[in-house]
Amino acid sequence: MFQFLVDVLMRACDLMLVAIGMSAVYSLMKFPNIALVQYAATGGVLAIVLQKTGMPVVIAIAFAVLLTGLLAVILNEFLFNRMLKIGSSTAMIGSLAVSMIFSAGFLVTVGPSPSRFAMPLSRPVRILDARITEPQLLSFAIVAAAIGMFALLYFRTDLGRCMRATSTNEVLADATGINTARMKTIIVLISGVMAALGGVAIALKGEVDIQMGMDLLLPVFASAILGGLGNPFGAIAGALLISFAETAVTAVNFGPLLGQVVAFLPVAYASAISFLLLVAALLWRPRGLFVSEVKRV
Amino acid sequence: MSDFIVHVTIMSGLYALLALSLNLQAGFGGLMNFGQIGLFACGLYGAAIAFQFDLSAISGFAFAIVAAALLGWAFASVGRNLQADYWGIVTLALAEVIRIIATNEDWLTGGAQGIGGIRPFYFDLDSQTRQIAILFTVLALVLAAALLCRHLIGGRYGLSIKIMREEPQLAASLGYNTITLKRQLMAVSSVLAAISGFLFAHYISFAGPEQIDSSETFLIWAMIVVGGLGNNIGAIVGAFLLQFAFAFIPFVKDWIGLPTEYVAAGRLFLTGGGLIIFILWRQSGIVPERVGGGRYV
Amino acid sequence: MKSILLSGIFVLGLSAAAYAQEAVIGAILPLSGSSATQGEDQRRGMELALEKINADGGVLGHPLKIVTEDSGGRTATALDAAKKLVTVDKVPVVLGEFSSGITIPIAQYLLQQDRVHINIGSSSTQIRTLGKGAFSVIGLDDVSGAFAAQDVFADGAKKVAVIAPNNAYGQGITNAFAAKFKSLGGVITSAILYTEGQTTYRRELQQLAAGEPDLYVYTAYGKESATINRESFELGLNDKKWYGLYLTMCTADSDAQYVEGQIGMDLNYIGGNGADYQKAYEAKFKGGFTSTFNGFAYDGVMLVAAAINKANSLDPKKIETAIADIGKSYEGVTGPIVLDADGQRSAQPYLRLKVESGKAVATQ
Repeated sequence: MFQFLVDVLMRACDLMLVAIGMSAVYSLMKFPNIALVQYAATGGVLAIVLQKTGMPVVIAIAFAVLLTGLLAVILNEFLFNRMLKIGSSTAMIGSLAVSMIFSAGFLVTVGPSPSRFAMPLSRPVRILDARITEPQLLSFAIVAAAIGMFALLYFRTDLGRCMRATSTNEVLADATGINTARMKTIIVLISGVMAALGGVAIALKGEVDIQMGMDLLLPVFASAILGGLGNPFGAIAGALLISFAETAVTAVNFGPLLGQVVAFLPVAYASAISFLLLVAALLWRPRGLFVSEVKRV
Repeated sequence: MSDFIVHVTIMSGLYALLALSLNLQAGFGGLMNFGQIGLFACGLYGAAIAFQFDLSAISGFAFAIVAAALLGWAFASVGRNLQADYWGIVTLALAEVIRIIATNEDWLTGGAQGIGGIRPFYFDLDSQTRQIAILFTVLALVLAAALLCRHLIGGRYGLSIKIMREEPQLAASLGYNTITLKRQLMAVSSVLAAISGFLFAHYISFAGPEQIDSSETFLIWAMIVVGGLGNNIGAIVGAFLLQFAFAFIPFVKDWIGLPTEYVAAGRLFLTGGGLIIFILWRQSGIVPERVGGGRYV
Repeated sequence: MKSILLSGIFVLGLSAAAYAQEAVIGAILPLSGSSATQGEDQRRGMELALEKINADGGVLGHPLKIVTEDSGGRTATALDAAKKLVTVDKVPVVLGEFSSGITIPIAQYLLQQDRVHINIGSSSTQIRTLGKGAFSVIGLDDVSGAFAAQDVFADGAKKVAVIAPNNAYGQGITNAFAAKFKSLGGVITSAILYTEGQTTYRRELQQLAAGEPDLYVYTAYGKESATINRESFELGLNDKKWYGLYLTMCTADSDAQYVEGQIGMDLNYIGGNGADYQKAYEAKFKGGFTSTFNGFAYDGVMLVAAAINKANSLDPKKIETAIADIGKSYEGVTGPIVLDADGQRSAQPYLRLKVESGKAVATQ
């Protein structure tokens, strides 16, 4: 039972940070930025590569995450803003194209085989009936710390207030004297950083390969949309719900029903469940589970 | 070498059918269908399943057409009021669910292994003549499809589609039922996509879930954006251009002496790069849409 | 457009010129993807064979050339490669691939095009039904699965769980193993076929553990086996014994500490005449065999060269007859190769292995 909760939490941690980034930036930029999941992959891969050059892990992660954030800002300035002027659908296709270029870049730099952090072997720890490894705990700690700091920033600082204002109603925020262009840049930077951290959290627990970004795309969309776009903390609930559905679907033993010792749904249907949840969310609760603001869908 | 060029031309023709189909939906109808490959899958697996269960090719064809039309109709009905990019995400998710089902239901689709050894067309001819026969068949079908699309778009129906794309509220106020229009358009273009899938299965003699990955949809999108959205000739041009470019990447790789990863990376780079360049600098594509009166292409 | 035409003519000219001077055969190998380690090893076996053949005068008085294409571990790419080999390079014979899920479709295509196919690395029982013109120099899984089942049962495990890739190979060997194991009186608690290409197999492993078996039987390609071995360690599943089918393939890419103590079976990859070959391999590649598959690739190429010489022609039909003829009794480096009526290797010896200090060593 406890193992089940741990698995749900682990999977949710995979999705949470990237979903927060997606939620924050989607409501602001008004188009789904597919390249965001590639920022997650970039963060993970870059941190691994930097560690290989000899940097200590913590510095490698910090650098990787900051560089990715900067990359997000640059891409936004030079590509996505221009595409957005043409139309949100065009921007979506453009972000798709950028994501393809990321994949091509990964292929020629790190190659198609998965990469891992160089970490010492650690036996799993037993807590109740679950087995957890140190990297998993570390990953969870990073996610928790990132969410905590983001919450502090978002709710307790002046900057956070301005960010919230800009996300909610840009025109009004501008009218009250907030420098919305700067706010946008900051939000894009933060979402890039969050996504990259999310990628690092995934990389710590196991491996990253070049497919990681696209594999995250639909579950992250699902989490962000379930939580309500523009509500970054709703994305946390969305991520938990999606990961609960995925884990439950493959952990339920239908054996007793069918007269066998064990009978499970094939694991691939776990992702099918999250996709179907996404479709259901878009059809019946497109504003998310926690409707607090009027949002366009 | 000429055999190889015949092969690439046949593949271009098959992709041209897919491009024409997506162009109807996205170029003329403004429908951001990211699940196009799901419609293709109806044709591909229709042919394969018929072969697997020893049914005639005709019944496979009939099954493929009906399945595709129903699926297209379902796509159009889902989320009737969803904004374009959200609907795109829904179609992407649905196509992925189809792929997951194809990967897991061995008894029907051969699972991850796929179904191989499908009898090619004109199997009683020798291999040289067979290729030429297939080439002419495919090219004739592309011509027929292009004429059909032109006929469809050239008349009142085409006008109503375009109004729906540009000013949906105006279309509604003029008495057009946008939902019906969308459904009809999706049903027709789905059938076209399924025909391509059916031919594909009988040409490659193999149907597997890797062929219906979401990245294939993105490729078709690149073809119509590069070729020219809203222009049938443009769709065909885009298909041929990209297919030929892809076919020659392995040769380029051999000359320069690059490792194999560069082939896959080269394809991604071409697709993504082509999309970005055309979006930013030649939004209308190689063959722009003809706006206004006169004959439509 | 012009440049494409020019380059096409250039390549046409090159390939025509090449064809006139050399005897060319084709090979499709997984040089990238999850089986890259094994694919590269197969390539090495072919390279050694090529050197030996050309040092001895080539075939039909010309040097032999092998055009090797990368399948990337994907069927569509492999089929494209096969098309290219047939239409551009015009080869009469193609060797490959490694994964049964890829070998079968390309063999079907090659046979349709009236070429000869040599299987050098796949073992799915479906290969037997491919038809005339398809040969295997490696034994199929009806035998290996039964061998493994007896081995596991003799070891004392009565309830086992099986995990294998979801493709022709995994399905075939799981069925062969399960049939024999059940006939001996054992129980299969669950058999999971995993989808290839995932970065995590935790859910599959947890499902497997739910059945509480005495022992886990597994088989996985290099890179995926690394993930499975690591995650079974992290989940604490290797408290129980793990038995690997084709153990060297399962452990080649895994961290030594995760696979310590595993047992399994593998091909007896070196026969009586193999000592010289082994020395040549170790000298050229500065190290022992990286997988058990290089010898079969070597034997495949040598067999084809002998057949071309015997048939005195590059015509596929004649080569096919010659292979069937030579295959009645051929001494390869992997042992005696006898091809049965279906063109499959009829006698394939296997080894029992155990992983000690990171290396798989033969036991008894």
